[in-house]
Amino acid sequence: MIRMLTLAWLVWLEMVRRKDIYVLLILLAAFLVTLMALNLFGLDRAVSYLKEIGLLLAWVCSWILAVSVSCRQLPQEERQGTIFPLLAKPVSRREVLLGKWLGAWVVTGAATLVFYVLLALMAALRGGGFGVVVLAQAWLLHLGLLAIITALGIAFSTRLHADAAAALTYVVTLAAWLVLPRVPDLALTARGALQTGLMAVYYALPHLELFDLRRRLVYGWPPAGGAAVLLTLLYGLLMAAAFLTLGWLAYRNKRFTRGAML
Amino acid sequence: MSNAIDIRDLVVEFPGAHGAAVRALQGLSLSVPEGQVYGFLGPNGAGKTTTMHVLLGFIEASSGTARLFGEDVRRTIARRRIGYLPEHPDTYRFLTGRELLLMAGRLFGLPRAALNTRADELLALVGLEAAADRRLAAYSRGMLQRIGLAQALVNDPDLVILDEPTSGFDPLGRIRIREIIAALRERGKTVFFSSHELSEVERVCDRVGILAAGRLVAEGRMTELVKAGAPAVAGESLEQYFIRMVA
Repeated sequence: MIRMLTLAWLVWLEMVRRKDIYVLLILLAAFLVTLMALNLFGLDRAVSYLKEIGLLLAWVCSWILAVSVSCRQLPQEERQGTIFPLLAKPVSRREVLLGKWLGAWVVTGAATLVFYVLLALMAALRGGGFGVVVLAQAWLLHLGLLAIITALGIAFSTRLHADAAAALTYVVTLAAWLVLPRVPDLALTARGALQTGLMAVYYALPHLELFDLRRRLVYGWPPAGGAAVLLTLLYGLLMAAAFLTLGWLAYRNKRFTRGAML
Repeated sequence: MSNAIDIRDLVVEFPGAHGAAVRALQGLSLSVPEGQVYGFLGPNGAGKTTTMHVLLGFIEASSGTARLFGEDVRRTIARRRIGYLPEHPDTYRFLTGRELLLMAGRLFGLPRAALNTRADELLALVGLEAAADRRLAAYSRGMLQRIGLAQALVNDPDLVILDEPTSGFDPLGRIRIREIIAALRERGKTVFFSSHELSEVERVCDRVGILAAGRLVAEGRMTELVKAGAPAVAGESLEQYFIRMVA
């Protein structure tokens, strides 16, 4: 466990000392300030559009960060050659994988919390606000979503270069987000093996829409049931565990040679 | 005396062009008894680094066995008593020298209090006390090599594997490395290192193995190889002997 936490701490330290998070945070803040300053269609008193666009931006920033951080961890170790002294220590490849995932998950989760807090402050300045309980639930579920995305990124990057893994993670998560909820409608019009195949895809891929509480936040709806939130979170962690297991299967016998990933 | 390293009939194949396999190691067998300084020589592409990578579990052998202190190298536990310095000691540039040593120590499960003391000792050993809290991004190549050596020694290993340890050093740094290796030998540690610097090997090694095209073509104590008696010609230097064996 200590080895896993040490590797996670390494990811955390790297992100804190790099500029990625700060750039995204500044971009988000700049966009929100611009939105607040504009008086579009005479909506200077309305806050819901600020919340809606702000939440969408926070989701996009968090998504970009999760994919970029998770997909570069393992290939970067190989490209820089740091994987050699690392694996020469009594650290198993399973611990490397889990430590890197944990670090990427915690970093993006913390950055998302900052995004949410920033948005809540902006909304409050505009005279609106978020329900604290719903905001906490939204962040918790967002953590579940990030667990899946970072696990997927880590799994792809066990055998791919960082850019290829990131591209694939973007495509799969976008498809899961936009297309997957429509699959049952498509399955209704299909027959036989195609229908079975579509439903298999429907159940096998992660349902990211389950983690979305943005409407509750924007329209001030009451909090979701505690049990439903916990079950969804559990579903997210199980999906993440499944992707990490696939990643470990690809990683456990991988041959590391200097320059293989150059 | 038991062996720190035991390699038997090791074969490593890499996929080559047009599906043909390239054999990097062809049935290599060698043993390094505990407490010896073993020089692993060979021309470029002979398989020295591949052998080290098998020992460290970076690649799995196609056939044969490799053991460290009797443990199969594929088991994580086999790496508890070893330290490793790669040929190109690239490292986490965003860390400071001290943070790198603390991180390496934590990966070995060393307790925090002991680790702080150990980090100070190692920084003094490699002469980096003044740069301890500077980011590694600001280190020169020689300094990176030195901090790499320090992290290889963080767990006070019984076996130290060094891949071209003197390549990034100036003459003073090389002398320091030789002193460190000698100190390790005095403490009964085993050192296994590859080098192109035959004069270095001649100075510090008890035993030498010469690898060519994935095979061990000569092995023996330095005294046997470069002084009187077979297989070397009397009075022949290690360099002359090396050239004769790999040519």
